[in-house]
Amino acid sequence: METQEVKTSTSQGGVDTFSYDDKIVRDFGIATTIWGIVGMLVGLMAALQLVWPALNITEYFSFGRIRPLHTNAVIFAFVGNGIFMGTYYSLQRLMKARMFSDKLSKLHFWGWQLIIVAAAITLPLGITSSWEYAELEWPIDLAIAVVWVIFGINMFGTILKRRENHLYVAVWFYIGTWITVTVLHVIKNLEIPYSMMHSIPVFAGVQDALIQWWYGHNAVAFFLTTPYLGLMYYFLPKAANRPVYSYRLSIIHFWALIFIYIWAGPHHLLYTSLPDWAQSLGTVFSIMLIAPSWGGMLNGLLTLRGAWDRVRQDPILKFMVIAVTAYGMATLEGPLLSIKSINAISHYTDWTVGHVHVGTLGWNGMLTFGILYWLWPRLYKTQLYSVSLANTHFWLATMGTLFYCVPLYWAGWTQSMMWKKFTPDGFLEYGNFLETVTQIIPMYQLRALGGAIYVVGVLIMAYNLYRTARSSSGVEDTTVQVAPRVKYVKAKGDHWHRWIERRPIQMLIFSAIVVLIGGIVEIIPMLIIDKNVPKIESVQPYTALELEGRDLYIKEGCVNCHSQMVRPFRSETERYGEFSKSGEFIYDRPFLWGSKRTGPDLHRVGGKYTHIWHYEHMRDPQSMSPGSIMPAYPHLLENEINTTYTKAKINVLRNMLNTPYPYNYAENAVDDLRKQAAEITAELREQGIDQEDVESKEIIALIAYLQRLGTDIKPKQ
Amino acid sequence: MYKYILESAGDINWMALFALITFFSVFGISAIMVFRKDKETLSHIANLPLADGDIVETNIEKR
Ligand code: HEC
Repeated sequence: METQEVKTSTSQGGVDTFSYDDKIVRDFGIATTIWGIVGMLVGLMAALQLVWPALNITEYFSFGRIRPLHTNAVIFAFVGNGIFMGTYYSLQRLMKARMFSDKLSKLHFWGWQLIIVAAAITLPLGITSSWEYAELEWPIDLAIAVVWVIFGINMFGTILKRRENHLYVAVWFYIGTWITVTVLHVIKNLEIPYSMMHSIPVFAGVQDALIQWWYGHNAVAFFLTTPYLGLMYYFLPKAANRPVYSYRLSIIHFWALIFIYIWAGPHHLLYTSLPDWAQSLGTVFSIMLIAPSWGGMLNGLLTLRGAWDRVRQDPILKFMVIAVTAYGMATLEGPLLSIKSINAISHYTDWTVGHVHVGTLGWNGMLTFGILYWLWPRLYKTQLYSVSLANTHFWLATMGTLFYCVPLYWAGWTQSMMWKKFTPDGFLEYGNFLETVTQIIPMYQLRALGGAIYVVGVLIMAYNLYRTARSSSGVEDTTVQVAPRVKYVKAKGDHWHRWIERRPIQMLIFSAIVVLIGGIVEIIPMLIIDKNVPKIESVQPYTALELEGRDLYIKEGCVNCHSQMVRPFRSETERYGEFSKSGEFIYDRPFLWGSKRTGPDLHRVGGKYTHIWHYEHMRDPQSMSPGSIMPAYPHLLENEINTTYTKAKINVLRNMLNTPYPYNYAENAVDDLRKQAAEITAELREQGIDQEDVESKEIIALIAYLQRLGTDIKPKQ
Repeated sequence: MYKYILESAGDINWMALFALITFFSVFGISAIMVFRKDKETLSHIANLPLADGDIVETNIEKR
């Protein structure tokens, strides 16, 4: 074997000799493994907290802050590094060229890891925008944009210097992913900074909600799905050693998928205050999604036709088969959940969480593992340390997924039925929400067990990969000899489609147009047509104190367990009160509708309880609601309300976002805050709270906010 | 308030129609693209992942 490193290509006798950058692939592979373990352990911790709330140790590791840490870690660190690992390996080989720039590759790698570390520090500190899957604050958003652009330049640079005329469909998926994620990231994170770590969103209420779920859904589509489909189209044929079943189908899969996906977001907002036309669009496009998704799944599975005997023996193919099957299951279930009548049952329950994990544990997890097992012996020029350990991992991963998902389906269904059940005389059978929580704790236990099994599997994989790497007798980049690219000459009878397929830039522009159509048609009318959000006269901006309380609600991540959106069902109006109107949210930046009800909806909680109830409940939820799994927040009783930025916030809201505060409210904001705090304190004192200096503590701001919630349109008692 | 939303029903029709038409154009164009491509090119492209001069068998496949 050659030992000298061939950095730049040499050309002799009509063949170029050059090497692929395998080190960067190894680096991303190691990163995906390590972050996978970290992210899943954090998820396990969150799962256990729902069983034993005492595990909400310190404010930094309480559920509301841990859950976003888990989702960000597994999506952007585990899957993110997995995408880059697979892309850097396959792109070089499909283009028959080394990556455009080793420097950019390194910058990309270390930049991405730094962003992950920044997320791992800021999220437990409660620095969050509260948007699901876009929680990171503005400085990190900027860093993500920079690193993403570096990745883009590196990718297109490689494509442009390729030695192969044709672009294989996997590369289409990478290009489509890159451009769409760019668009999503920029539009989602439009916010106005008021400090080094905090900002206020440009859009409010319903508009913010629509953009959030346009983004949120497409984070699933274009971060967890399309890049992984690219990987599937490359690594599945590789592992099976046969070409994809139908290349034609893969092309239709690509165009239909990216076009339809971008429209489906509003299915996250069915029965909410989002206008009906937007909800209907979401439903229709979601159902249409079944076609391309299943086309893709079948294309993957049929690639293995005639090779099923090998599937039985080869753990890599086993992982891939389950992954593709899970993709099919999740993409059938998703559209079903978008049908209004099913959504009425499933939404806000743990059903959604189960659904998501079919996709993530099944599709993303298993495909990543399969690829890692395939890559590792090749990247380290050795044999896999233990094939039987890989098989053990496969069974653990499969059992883990089942033990995770099945109990959650059960839990979700149970919750929903209990929420909606009426007695014969027309009262809610389970008027106390807590009963519907304690009922499903056993399911939460099983789910945590499933998660634990899955993580054990990943740990075994890490050990196996580590031993494989150690058995390597030295790694060097793979050197190959390839003929230089023959510049394409237009032949007779050529069609214009070649024009797109051969030229990456056209490809980029076309996919951008295709995805932008959906985004524009859906979002622009929402932003410019006023009548989509009918104004309600009595709805007023938050006072300074309520605003600070709201920011605490955001910081603590209450939105991870509580929705603020009463849907127009009798079971909900009976339990919570008047259903939510879009006009009530025009000052909500960001919107806090939430997506899961581990606790009850809070939109109409204002005035429901006394101040002292909230005080005691926040200090120790179980003192007011025995058996509650809500974390305790004793630190709110000790920390001072931070008024450093109160004025700056009001200024941004009033001067830049047209919130109708009185002329010099910003100047007097802190005074007003103190005044309202004194009033609440007086009431608390009357009710029997004797904590000294409680007046300046965070709990007062939070109580102010909770008591304000949903009261603007309540008739005054 | 629902009246307000229903009043915008005009927009719905326009939008749904637009969405449907663009979808079928995208779908149709890609289908035409695909079926007018000659078999040879297709099979060349489909075999690209297998033709990188880098086929290695490991202990996993050899069993
Ligand atoms: C782990 C999920 C979880 C988190 C996080 C959480 N809660 Fe809860 N919350 C619950 C559950 C479960 C209940 C119902 C039992 C109870 O009353 O404690 C509840 C009840 C409540 C209630 C009473 C609602 C009613 O109508 O009876 C309020 C108010 C409340 N939570 C506020 C908050 C606030 C504020 C935060 C953030 C600082 C928060 N919760 C964080 C789970 C959670």
